[in-house]
Amino acid sequence: MIRRILIANRGEIALRVLRACRELDIVPIAVYSDADRAALHVLEADEAYRLGPAPASESYLCGDLILDVARRARADAIHPGYGFLSENADFAQACEQAGVKFIGPPASAMRMLGSKTRARQAADRAGMPRTPGSVHGLASLDEARSVAASIGYPVMLKAAAGGGGKGMRAVSREEDLSSAFDAGRSEAQRAFGSSEVYLEKLIEQPRHIEIQILADEHGHCVSLGERECSVQRRHQKVIEESPSAVVDQDLRRKIGEAAVSLALAAGYTNAGTVEFLLDKNRNFYFLEMNTRLQVEHPVTELVTGLDLVQLQIHIAQGEPLPLTQSDVTLRGHAMECRVYAEDPDNGFLPSPGRITRLLQPGGPGIREDCGIYEGWVVPMDYDPMLSKLIAFAPTRELAIARLRRALDEYVIGGIRTNLGLFRRILRDREFCAARIDTGYLDHLLGGQPAPSVDGLDSVPAIAAAVLEALQPAASAATASSVNAWKAAARREATGADPRL
Amino acid sequence: MNLQIEIDGESRQVQIDPAESAGRWIVRVDGEMVEADARLLRPGVLSLLLGGRSHRVVLDGDPSAPALYLGNQRIPCRVEDPRSLRSRRHSGADGPVVLKASMPGRVVRLLVEKGQDVAARQGIVVIEAMKMQNELKTPRGGRVIDLRATPGAAVASGETLAVIE
Repeated sequence: MIRRILIANRGEIALRVLRACRELDIVPIAVYSDADRAALHVLEADEAYRLGPAPASESYLCGDLILDVARRARADAIHPGYGFLSENADFAQACEQAGVKFIGPPASAMRMLGSKTRARQAADRAGMPRTPGSVHGLASLDEARSVAASIGYPVMLKAAAGGGGKGMRAVSREEDLSSAFDAGRSEAQRAFGSSEVYLEKLIEQPRHIEIQILADEHGHCVSLGERECSVQRRHQKVIEESPSAVVDQDLRRKIGEAAVSLALAAGYTNAGTVEFLLDKNRNFYFLEMNTRLQVEHPVTELVTGLDLVQLQIHIAQGEPLPLTQSDVTLRGHAMECRVYAEDPDNGFLPSPGRITRLLQPGGPGIREDCGIYEGWVVPMDYDPMLSKLIAFAPTRELAIARLRRALDEYVIGGIRTNLGLFRRILRDREFCAARIDTGYLDHLLGGQPAPSVDGLDSVPAIAAAVLEALQPAASAATASSVNAWKAAARREATGADPRL
Repeated sequence: MNLQIEIDGESRQVQIDPAESAGRWIVRVDGEMVEADARLLRPGVLSLLLGGRSHRVVLDGDPSAPALYLGNQRIPCRVEDPRSLRSRRHSGADGPVVLKASMPGRVVRLLVEKGQDVAARQGIVVIEAMKMQNELKTPRGGRVIDLRATPGAAVASGETLAVIE
C-alpha cells in the first residue's frame, strides 16, 4: 500500500497530484527549490523539503537529491508529474533500486519508447502505421539522400532524442538537405547530447491526434479516446480538446487499438500517450509516445469521468485496471487553454514577475488547474505555464462558449499572459468550425491583428480618471500603483527610448 | 480635476468632479459628459456603473507598463504628467541608443565589450527567462559607451543594459 507520495515537481501539476493524494488519504510530500519556497505546492503539502538552488539542474532535475528526500521522508512512491525527471529512465531505475515505487512505466519501456528511432521500430513490430522513412539513425549524408529520394520530398529531419521541436527541420528540395543535415545534427548534439537524426516523410497540413492509454501491471491496457492538439505554436500545444471534431467512432477504435498494441508490445504500464498525425484523408501515422502523464490529461478526465492521477496510483499499487475497453464511453466535449506568462504583443517573450491581481473564473463546467496566487512572484527559472483553464459542456460549440465566458471573468494582473490570445482564437471562424491543423495558429498570428480597443469608447478613460480621483481615499496599494503609472511615464519619457 | 489620459496610445482630455451624492462623479471625456457611479471594491478593483451598464475595472499594477483590465481586455493606460510630454517631444532619433531589457530575466552572456564598435542589428547581450533565450540587438551602429549587464545577474524589464553612441 502506498501511504506517502513524494511529488517530484512544481506548479499546477504538483497541486494536481497533491489533490489526488488527499482524496486517497495519502500523505503528499512536496520538494522545492529556493525560487519556490513560497510556491503554492509547498504551502499546500503536508510536508515540504528543500532540494537546492533555483536552477532546475541543481534542484528538480537532481535525482540523487530527490531520492535522498524520499528516504528521509519515508516516501513509498514518487510521482514525477510531467517534464523534469518524468521521462528519465535512469531515474526510474534508481527509484526501483532504492525501493521507492516510481509512478510511471518501467525503465525498460521508457528506454524503448524514449528514442524516436527505437519507437519507430517498436511501431513496426506492433504493426502500426507510421510515417514513411528511416527507423535507424542516418549514418551519412549519402544515406540521407537515398532515404529522401525513396520517400520523396518534402521530408522532415528529426533528432532521435528530440523533443520540443529541437533538431527538427523541414526540407523541401534535395539541395537543402546537406545544410539541414549538418545543422540538425549539431543542434541535436547540443540539446540532447546525441547527434542521431533520421528522416521521415513530411505530412502536409496534419492534425495532431493523440490517444490516452492506461495499462496495469497484469497485461491489461485500455485506450481512453483521443485528444486533438492541433493548435500549436513552435511545436508547443496551446489548446487541446476531446473528442476531436474529425474522429468518428470507427477511426477512434482503429487508432485506439494501434496505441494499445504498441503499449503492450513495449511492456508498458501506467498512464501514457501515443501521438499521431492525421492527414487530410484521415490516414493516421504514429509520431511518438510520451511515457508520462500529459499536461492536457484533464480533457480526457472530463469526457471519460475518470481520475487519471488516482488511477496511476492504483496501478502503481499493483491493482488491476477497474475497467475494460467496453466500459470506456466518451460523454460531452472538453477543451483546455494553457495559460502562459508570456506577452503575445511582444513576440511571446516570457513575462515572469509578481501577480498583483488575480480574479479566477468559476461557475458551471469550468475547471482551473493552477499553481498561482495573488501576490506570488512567478519565477524566471522554469516553464512559463501558470494554469490550465478547462471547460466541459455537452457539445464543442457549448464548450467554446463556456471557455469564452470564463476567459472574460479571468484577470491576471502584474504580468503579461496569453489570455487575450485565447479570446481571439475562440472567436475565430476557422477554429469554431474546427478547420484546424498544426499550422493553424501561425496562420492566424500572421494575419490581421485583433482589434485593440473596440466598442468601449470612453469607458477606459472614465475608469482611469475615477481611479486617479479616488487615490487619496483609496488604500496605500492603489495610491502607489497610480503613482507608479506616473513614475513609469516619467521614466519612459526621460530615458531616450529607441523603440526597439 | 483635469487630466490627460493616454488610452492604448491615444490621448484623451478628461475632467472629473465629484457629483452631489456619494460615490458619483461627473466625468467629461473630450468634452462629452457622463455620470459615473463608482465603488472601489478593494485596492485596484473598481465597479463602475455607467448609465446602467456595469463594468468591472482592474488595475494591472505592473509599474513598468500601466494598464487596466476591462472584462478580459488589457488596455494600456497612462495618466500623463504634463512634464513628461514636453520631455518626450525633445527626445529625437539622433541620440544614443539605450538598450533595455525586453523582459525580466538573467543575463546569460555579453556579446560585445565596452568601447567596442558595433554594427546595426548586431547582438549585444543575451538574456534568459523561463527556458527561453533572447538576444538583444542594437537598432543602429556605433560605439558601446556603457555596458551595465553582468553575466549571471538578474535584470528587470526595462532596465538599461547598454548604451551605444
